Amino acid sequence: MYSKRIQDVLKRKNIKIGDFIRIKGAKTVHEGILMPRIELGDTSCLVIKLSNGYNTGIKFEKGVKIEKVKKGFGIVHKHKKGMKKIIFDKKLPTISIIGTGGTIASKVDYRTGGVYASFSPEDIAMQIPELKEIANIKAEEVMSIMSEDITPEIWIRIAKEVAQDVNAGYKGVIVTHGTDTLHYTAAALGFMLRDLPCPVAVVGAQRSSDRGSSDTVMNISCAANFVANSDVAEVCTVLHGTMEDDYCLAIRGTKSRKMHTSRRDAFRPINEQPIAKIHWKNRKIEILNKNYRKRSNSKLKVDAKLNPKVALIKSYPGMDPEIFDFYLNKKYKGFVVEATGLGHTPTLGKHSLLPKIERAIKSDLPVVITSQCLYGRTHPTIYHNLRELSRRGAIFAGDMLPEIALVKLMWVLGHTRNLERVGKMMLTNYAGEINPRIGPKDFLV
Amino acid sequence: MDYKKIGLKCGLEVHRQLDTEHKLFCDCSTKMIEKTPLTIVKRKQHPVASELGKVDVAAQYEFLRDRTFHYQVFPGEDCLVESDEEPIHALDQEALEIALQIALLLNCKIPRELHIMRKTVIDGSNTSAFQRTLIVGLDGCIEYDGRKVEITHVALEEDAASIVEEDEKNRTYKLNRLGVPLIEIGTGLLIGYTPEEVQEISYLIGMICRSTGKVKRGIGTVRQDVNVSVKNGPRVEIKGIQELGLISKVIQLEIQRQMSVPKVKKEVRAANPDGTTKFTRPLPGAARMYPETDIPPIPIDKKTIRKIKKHLPESWLKKMKRFKKKLRLSDELAKQIIRSEYLELFEKIVKKYRVNPSVAANVFVSTLKDLKKRENIQVENLEDKDFEELFGLLKERKLMKEAIPDALKYKVKNPKQPIIVGIKKLGLRVISNDELMGIVKDVIRKNKGKPEGKIIGLIMSRVRGRAKSENVVRIVKRLLKS
Repeated sequence: MYSKRIQDVLKRKNIKIGDFIRIKGAKTVHEGILMPRIELGDTSCLVIKLSNGYNTGIKFEKGVKIEKVKKGFGIVHKHKKGMKKIIFDKKLPTISIIGTGGTIASKVDYRTGGVYASFSPEDIAMQIPELKEIANIKAEEVMSIMSEDITPEIWIRIAKEVAQDVNAGYKGVIVTHGTDTLHYTAAALGFMLRDLPCPVAVVGAQRSSDRGSSDTVMNISCAANFVANSDVAEVCTVLHGTMEDDYCLAIRGTKSRKMHTSRRDAFRPINEQPIAKIHWKNRKIEILNKNYRKRSNSKLKVDAKLNPKVALIKSYPGMDPEIFDFYLNKKYKGFVVEATGLGHTPTLGKHSLLPKIERAIKSDLPVVITSQCLYGRTHPTIYHNLRELSRRGAIFAGDMLPEIALVKLMWVLGHTRNLERVGKMMLTNYAGEINPRIGPKDFLV
Repeated sequence: MDYKKIGLKCGLEVHRQLDTEHKLFCDCSTKMIEKTPLTIVKRKQHPVASELGKVDVAAQYEFLRDRTFHYQVFPGEDCLVESDEEPIHALDQEALEIALQIALLLNCKIPRELHIMRKTVIDGSNTSAFQRTLIVGLDGCIEYDGRKVEITHVALEEDAASIVEEDEKNRTYKLNRLGVPLIEIGTGLLIGYTPEEVQEISYLIGMICRSTGKVKRGIGTVRQDVNVSVKNGPRVEIKGIQELGLISKVIQLEIQRQMSVPKVKKEVRAANPDGTTKFTRPLPGAARMYPETDIPPIPIDKKTIRKIKKHLPESWLKKMKRFKKKLRLSDELAKQIIRSEYLELFEKIVKKYRVNPSVAANVFVSTLKDLKKRENIQVENLEDKDFEELFGLLKERKLMKEAIPDALKYKVKNPKQPIIVGIKKLGLRVISNDELMGIVKDVIRKNKGKPEGKIIGLIMSRVRGRAKSENVVRIVKRLLKS
């Protein structure tokens, strides 16, 4: 946004963003298209696009005059809402793409100057020429939210949208999503979509779709192939497998984690192999892990009972156990502890977590122990201190990732508050979140 | 040819790499010396719409080729930023300062806010599919031959990756050039100038850049583009002229080409080493520019500009005067060394080793050229430190100036050996006065009665490159008299 002074002048002279203007200074004359102003920087600087395409900032100070040369073409954000069906070939399967926002839907945002979700799934689909050989598309943008702003309530909305499309008979569903919390959503869908009959791919991009190097094209292309043609009836994350544009990995949503801030291949499977490798150009789908639910005719039911009042607490040297009191006073209903190593938390003196954990459990609040190692599983009895935790009733989550245990505990607490039943459900494998057999190749995949 | 009659219009774009420690948007080195890639990353690229909603024609054209790009990644010279796997870091301050210096030397106005733009390039030469560029100066001018040449813009940009090889479907690039700071200087329309004069203007701009002492030199560090049109025909852009002396020839050949084809197309052509050109792609429009979203615009306050103005380097005109007056270079030699790629090194050597400036200047402007031209010695392989070694020896009187060509030849052929070893091996060791006296006496004794000139000639053939000729003459004259 421009400063009040500039806005007033523009209004008085009937100059709109996108108009071709002339800016006269004491010694200079500049001509160009008036561009929208981002929030950062000096809002009293006019931004114009010169004829060579460059943008430049001109200080609107005393003696500077603006005049309109000609009316321009408006720079408007066409925001296509609603559902759109693209039929390329009646013989092809039809899949659904549900847009939720994120980098994959992003382009320049003049409010902040950064990128923001404003591409509709239709825009994205139209960018990918080979889609017409893979599937017909039903595209719908159901929201436009960056992944850091996604909430458990939104997981439920997305789950319902997916269920609607699955039960309407689409061959598979793609959910486009921001990458930061993509694996939380994928896991939540995994728990909530009961009796899933077809593939659901949760797809993001690490480079926004307004860039010629964006990973969107390959990720969507591979995901479309995966949901249209594979027999994997699981919720998977589908993104680059390497830094190259060669193949994507379909990773079980409950075993996937964003492990890099910026690389295309940021999503890695933890404690198991990826389910499939989806080659981009030759469209081969190579199954790497046969342990998956097969496509079926089952009717999908959404089990969306969630209790979001769950805290994730990280254990670290010298931590203050009083953090538990805060959550207890705020009536939290369960805790996931991201413990060290095999599942340890401090046990000595004023740093000991044991009294707090004991207090929580005595109040019928579950405490789930996961490991910040991420790789490997927790163990309740190897060390004395682990037994101290276990004796007090803490639930050791095995090889479940801390974030996944968090999502699962929310879901479990939506079903029961009975401590014993919570413990049983937490250790029941609902969506492949527990791998009882971790193999030698399942590390740093 | 009457260039006015054919309506010749030219425009220049001069590119020079800046000699900074770090690349423009990351902390990698700009040295480009690594030979073995760490790994290769394969990628595809796609066309995207610009912020005005148009897809650039040039970008589309490249896309239709459906190429795979292979990027060679070099240790220390490339990080995740070059692979387009990490967002860019803050703009390199050293590069910005040099760019602002150049803009001010070219009398440009500095925008109060610099906007980094993405220029769409999907020929694969940039992993991100765009080149980042920002205007640091507008509406400047320089004087050439009493006329005012308009400088439309000075931009600071990231250099593209350099191509290694290509076929129909593949292109291999070295990533270590990607992100090296590059200054781009554009002139206004040059009307009423001959091709030779256009070339002179490009020289002049180059000299101004070099006066900062912070531009790279050598093969590939300079690239010039020239726009040519005749008789109000469409503009043809010729890219990548690496040799300054080739510009006038390229323009002349392009005039001939445009005059001989029935319909001239608006397009981009690449310069071949012989001055001819080949078609590369249609001319891109303003639609290829898109704002950089990863980092915000950079404000430039008046204080910063004042500070840089205060420390601007000596202009080439002043330098010329100083070279003639203080260093006692001839008019011609001063002109040549100022144009030489070795100018900075020359100044450093004269200051550090206090050798005769004319001798040093001659080495850079003529000895090297002679060695290359006459004996095809790869003088471009000589590094700054080799010249420092050479002039150090000259200063310590371990080498005569006459032996410089042989010493340099030795160094090119034996790059790992110190020059002093070569001097010994080639028998170029400076002979002492006593030794010289002995040789003179010996020659006079054996050639009694022969004329003085003949005797001097005989002695010189035995001591050439090892003793000063004026010493020989002096001793011979003295001995013959007595």
